[in-house]
Amino acid sequence: MSFSHANIAVEFRHLSKSYGDFSALKNIDLKIAAGEVVVVCGPSGSGKSTLIRTINRLESYDQGDILVSGQSTRSLRGRDLQQLRTGIGFVFQQFNLYAHLTARDNITIALVQVLGLSKRVAEERADVLLEKVGLPDKGDHFPSQLSGGQQQRVAIARTLAMEPSIILFDEPTSALDPEMIGEVLNVIRQLAHTGITMVVVTHEMGFARELADRIVFMDQGEVLEVASPEQFFSQAQHPRAQRFLQQILPSHSSATS
Amino acid sequence: MNSFHFDWGGVLTGSPAAWLVAGLVNTILITVTGTFVASLLAIVLLLGRTSSAHYARYLAQAIVMGFRNTPLLVQLFFWYFAVYPALPEWFRDWVIADHWFSPLPFGFRCISPEFVCACLGLSWFTGAFLAEELRAGLKAVPLAQSEAALTQGFSHWKTFRYILLPQAMRNAWQPIVGQYLNLMKLSSLASSIGFAEIIYSTREIESFNAHAIEAYAVGTLLYLILGLLMGQLFVSFGPGQIKRNNVVARVALSGFLHRLRFLS
Repeated sequence: MSFSHANIAVEFRHLSKSYGDFSALKNIDLKIAAGEVVVVCGPSGSGKSTLIRTINRLESYDQGDILVSGQSTRSLRGRDLQQLRTGIGFVFQQFNLYAHLTARDNITIALVQVLGLSKRVAEERADVLLEKVGLPDKGDHFPSQLSGGQQQRVAIARTLAMEPSIILFDEPTSALDPEMIGEVLNVIRQLAHTGITMVVVTHEMGFARELADRIVFMDQGEVLEVASPEQFFSQAQHPRAQRFLQQILPSHSSATS
Repeated sequence: MNSFHFDWGGVLTGSPAAWLVAGLVNTILITVTGTFVASLLAIVLLLGRTSSAHYARYLAQAIVMGFRNTPLLVQLFFWYFAVYPALPEWFRDWVIADHWFSPLPFGFRCISPEFVCACLGLSWFTGAFLAEELRAGLKAVPLAQSEAALTQGFSHWKTFRYILLPQAMRNAWQPIVGQYLNLMKLSSLASSIGFAEIIYSTREIESFNAHAIEAYAVGTLLYLILGLLMGQLFVSFGPGQIKRNNVVARVALSGFLHRLRFLS
C-alpha cells in the first residue's frame, strides 16, 4: 500500500494512558490508511482492546491525540463526540445486542433515534442487512433466541447499518463456540477491502494472514512491530513477537487469550 | 347476636349505592392520575439518583428517603394542612372553580382540594418507591448495553430512554406492578383528608344506616376486583410482553378464523 499518499483514516500521535504506575498504552504512534485492514495482535493484557477503544473514546487517555480523518478528537465533547462515534462502528467480543429488542429493532433503533431516518426506511435497510449477514428470517427473534454466531452477525449488521467509514472489531470471535467462528469470519471477510477501514483485534492468525494489509503487534502497552502479514509470520523482527508466534502458531490454539 | 341478617338492599340501593359508585369512580380516578404522576416523579427521582452531579444525587436521595420512611397518612396531612394552604391563590381558585370536567354523578366533583392533595401524597410516596425499584432494575442492566449505545452515537439521555430504562422496567416489572397496586389500595387512606373514594363512601353508609359490615364487604370486593383487573392489565401490557402477546394473539386469531371458515 502506497501509504504516504493515501488518506489517513486514523492516526495515533504519542498516545499514552496509565492507571497509577501501570502504563496501559505507551507513546503509541500509528497511522491507518483509509480502506486498510489492520489486525492488532499480542498477548493478553497487552493493551490491544484499550488501543481500539480509545479511537471512539470508550476509553480515555492521558497524553497525545488521535486524528480521525485528519481531525483531532482529543477535545471532542457532547454532540461532537456523538457524531464521531456515529461514524465509527464497534463490534464487541460479547456482541452486546440490546437485550429487549428484536434483531430488526436492534438495527433500526439507532437509525431512527440517532440518524433520524423514518421507521420504514430503517426497517428496509435492516432487512437488506439481515439478508447480507445470512439471517433473513431472524428479524423477529430476540437476542436470547439466537446463537452466539447469529448474535454476532446481527451485531455486525447493526454496525453496518450506520454506514460507518471505520469499523473496530474487539475480538469478534473470542466468545464463540469453534463451529460458529467461521460464519462470523465469513461476514467480516465480505467487508474487507470494500472501502471501510477495519481495525481488528483478534487471535485468529489464519484470518490475519489472509486479510490483513498490516499486522500490529503489541505487548505491555507498546506497539513493538508493524509489518505485512508475510513478513510478520515468516520473519518477525522483535524477540517478543517471535516468542508470541511460537506460542500461538504451532498448535493454532487460542489458549493464549 | 346470632340473629344477624345481611341486608344488602341497604347498601346496593338508593343513596348508599350512589355513594359507592361515586367512591369507585373517585378511586379509579385517583389511581389513574396517581399512577401517571408517580411514574413521572419516579423517572425524575431516578435521574437524580443516578446523576453525575452530586447535588442532584443527594437531593433525590433525601427526597426518596423522606417519602419512603414516613407514614403515608402523615404525608397526606402534610400536603393537605401544610402545603395546600400555602399554594398560590390562583391555583386554589382554579381547583374549586367549576370546570366542564368537574361534575361527577350524584353531586361529587372530580377535582377538589382533597383530590389534589391525595394525588400529591400518593404520587410522591409511590414515586419514591418506584424510583428505587427502577434503580434496582437499572443496576441489573450490564454496563455493556450502554457502551453499545454510546458507540452508536446515542446521547446519554437517549441511551437512558431507549436502552436502559426499558430494560430496567422489564427487570423490575413485578415489584413495579406491586407498587401501582399499593397506590390503588393506599388511596383508601385519602378518606382521612375527606377525599370521597370507596372507603369514604362506606363510612357514609355506616353513619347513614349502620350497614357497616355490608358496606365494608362491598367496598373490599370493589378493591379486590380493581386490583385483579389492574394486575392483569399491567402484566399483559408490561414491557417485553407486548411483542410475544401479539404473536400469541395472531396465532389464536388465525386459528379462530380458520375454525369459522370450517364451520361455514
